[in-house]
Amino acid sequence: MHRLPTLLSGIFLVFLTSWLGLVAYPAIQLGRLVPVSDAETGGSLPPLYNGSAVAGQRVYASEGCVYCHTQQVRQTSVTHSDIERGWGLRPSVARDYLRDSTAFLGSSRIGEDLSNVGTRLTNATAYYNELYAPASVSTEATMPSYSDLFKVRQIQGQRSAEALDLPPEFAPKPGYEVVPTTDAKNLVAYLLSLKHDYALPEADSVKNSPAPPSH
Amino acid sequence: MNATIDTTHYSRTSFLDHGDDTRSIDESVRLPVLALFGNAIHWFMVAVLISLVLAIKLIVPGFLNFSWANFLSYGRLVPIARDLFLYGWASQAALGAGIWLAARLAGRPLASTRDRGVHLHTLLISATVLWNLGVVLGSLAIFAGYTTGVEWLEYPGWASATLFLSFLLIGIWAVLLFDRSKNEDLKVPQWYLIAGFCSFPWIYGTANLLLVWKPLSAASQGAVQAWFSGSFLSLWLLPVSLAALYAMIPRALGSPLNRGSLAPLGFWSILLLGGWNGIQRLIGGPVPAWMSSVGVVSSVLFLIPILIICINLLGIDYRKNPRVGRNVSLRFLILGLFSLITLGVIGAVSSLPMISAALHFTGVSEAQTQLWILGAVTFPLFGVLYEALPRLLGRECWSEKLSERHYWLSLVGFWLLIGMLVLEGLFTGLALLDPAVSFLNVSSYAYPFRFMEVVAQLLLLAGAMMLGVNITRALAGDYLFPKR
Amino acid sequence: MNHDPTSPNQPHQDSREQSLSRPLSPWLIGAFILLLIWGGFYLAFNSGGFRQDVYESDAVNWAGGGASAEAPPDPKVVGKRLYSQNCVVCHQATGLGVPGQFPPLAGSDWVNSDSIHGDNHLVLLLLHGHQGPMNVEGQTYNNAMPQWKQLSDDQISSILTYIRSDWGNNAPAIDTSFVTLMRKESESQSDPWTQSELMAIPRAMDASKGAAPAAPAASAAPPAK
Repeated sequence: MHRLPTLLSGIFLVFLTSWLGLVAYPAIQLGRLVPVSDAETGGSLPPLYNGSAVAGQRVYASEGCVYCHTQQVRQTSVTHSDIERGWGLRPSVARDYLRDSTAFLGSSRIGEDLSNVGTRLTNATAYYNELYAPASVSTEATMPSYSDLFKVRQIQGQRSAEALDLPPEFAPKPGYEVVPTTDAKNLVAYLLSLKHDYALPEADSVKNSPAPPSH
Repeated sequence: MNATIDTTHYSRTSFLDHGDDTRSIDESVRLPVLALFGNAIHWFMVAVLISLVLAIKLIVPGFLNFSWANFLSYGRLVPIARDLFLYGWASQAALGAGIWLAARLAGRPLASTRDRGVHLHTLLISATVLWNLGVVLGSLAIFAGYTTGVEWLEYPGWASATLFLSFLLIGIWAVLLFDRSKNEDLKVPQWYLIAGFCSFPWIYGTANLLLVWKPLSAASQGAVQAWFSGSFLSLWLLPVSLAALYAMIPRALGSPLNRGSLAPLGFWSILLLGGWNGIQRLIGGPVPAWMSSVGVVSSVLFLIPILIICINLLGIDYRKNPRVGRNVSLRFLILGLFSLITLGVIGAVSSLPMISAALHFTGVSEAQTQLWILGAVTFPLFGVLYEALPRLLGRECWSEKLSERHYWLSLVGFWLLIGMLVLEGLFTGLALLDPAVSFLNVSSYAYPFRFMEVVAQLLLLAGAMMLGVNITRALAGDYLFPKR
Repeated sequence: MNHDPTSPNQPHQDSREQSLSRPLSPWLIGAFILLLIWGGFYLAFNSGGFRQDVYESDAVNWAGGGASAEAPPDPKVVGKRLYSQNCVVCHQATGLGVPGQFPPLAGSDWVNSDSIHGDNHLVLLLLHGHQGPMNVEGQTYNNAMPQWKQLSDDQISSILTYIRSDWGNNAPAIDTSFVTLMRKESESQSDPWTQSELMAIPRAMDASKGAAPAAPAASAAPPAK
């Protein structure tokens, strides 16, 4: 160990162990996971994202949502609280992220876990209100307002169908309306598609979950 | 030159001093090291300022939240601050510190002349320029929204490629020295430096290749990113810090390492476990069960090298050097050492599944990251800075008052930050275990701690400003502050 | 490179003795070895066989009395899965059935073996199905319940154990041996039961679980149809 060549070979070999285990192995094993076919619908699981949602992933990345929100329901061998809290029917597995271009696993829960937010909030309006004026949804929220994802514009003739319905203290001045930009629509499409409520071979959806909600 | 293996080197106090030759060694690396450190400090100050803004945003979400200034949003500032800490400050300062330590440890000038026709200074300065270019461009890209979305690797592919290229230039310098160093008898600090410098291109290159340049399927990205974050800290930045600790603490205390024969075991166990350490951020996550359990085991076993480092460095008989209390460099090194110990203990405890259930994703996780980046890496680098700068400039240059203030503000700010993050994590994490407690309620529990975190960040910023003024005076003092 | 390194300092003699000749403390070695052994065992038991598709480590439930890899699967868990595959269509995931069409299971005397209903009625019902009008919780239902004798005894006992433990029901589990017994005793039954036929059989409880029934535990052979 006191000579450079020996030291270098030692470093190389030791380094290789973790590299093989945490880089080569996931790349080869997990990286080769493919979607499974869905017997009920004839489609594939995880389901494909629609085009708008794919663009929404880019907005999710650039707005930095991953720094406050996780997208992983933890295994029950560690905790049941994620599932009991209603953040998912079952723990997340690697295959759930197959359709993402980037796995937004997250490491901090300043905000809620979002892996199944599409099953909890099914209406786009709820998302728009949360993004534009989170304080209107909850006064205690740490969530900042993403007003740059929206346009405040003058009402032309009739109020636009997309305009947000906001409480008076958050609404724009009379004669103006708030409409979502394309980025906002894409982001919301992505969030709406965040549902991992299907079963996979390695994650039986019913096995570890409480009774599924009755619609 | 003594060619036999010299086991007495564990019993020497200083490998950094070489009598009359010391000055020429310092001269040889002066420009590259000053360039690297100087740039690094600037980024540090920017990063600390942004961290303060982020801490305020957590308690006042509307702070600096303008619809025309989406680049000031929390989600964009977090990666900028984090990457500035990692690449702008820590990696660059580690490069500077590493080059100076390498030269001093080797006992010969390492960068003053040509080597096989390559002008070494130019090589290193070009590397510095490229590095900072990469950091600037990467940060601007994130401001504009062009981020990769991968944590700790947010710089777009072309920016990270610039950083990688810069490091390759430094690699060329290192390789050029290889021949001459082949038969040298290497001491513990040198092992750490070599391990760090060799690991970085492999770590950074692999992670960028598989996550940014040619991304893998997202099913496997989580594990690779976790590996990257752990290895980047444990196998690149930490070894440079440890090299500083091992080289400079015995020297400052005037006594050799305690039980130095344990040091090799510490070295190899850090190398072995450091690579696996990263996966602890995915305990319970969407990875096969064996990865979670490896994360737990490696976090707990990491106590072994930390214990060894404690024994080696804290067991040193410090009574031989009574001037310990006045030595700012030493105090920063010791601060770094204690951060490392705290980190090891918190890491080991919080990785156990029962505890991870409550504390994962809370302030405790953030506290671990801060203990790593600010504590175990930044403070030892400050220690090197305070020691190296006067030697490189050839004169006493630090203002004692400013140095003291920097130290105390950093100490109090840092431990306050860690304490508040841990308490915040404990309160919110334990509350969240009960599914009946609403998540929003729990956020409000965190408020008082987040308020104190703002105070802590203010102290850290004040300390950084002290350092900024201090180093500006040191470098340009004669011009800006002429002596009366 | 213009000069060779010289060895500057002489080693301090006393500290050399200190740092080299002191043997490694046995406590230290012991601590390290203990940690390594713990690590080895932890990895062996919690890695799910190092398989790629196992995400739940078979970790011991620290709260006490939890499942380990060797424990048999919880019948309620298995039963719930079977219920959702076979019964949910009619009786719904909420156990509330569909008013007017499919009777509820939540709070049902049939399921909980209350008043005139016994464990045996429940098992026989599941084995052979039901036809004609049926009175559940004061409502009359006139739909056909298919037979389920193609399921194994294990599966039937799991399903029944599950439905007797969810939605507010709190009746004792049904044992597989009881199902076997009921199947044997009703071998001659070929068509689904009518309510009068089924209720003509004297009430009997599954005594194998030690549950104390209010009615005498007389297990009579059902009359041949």
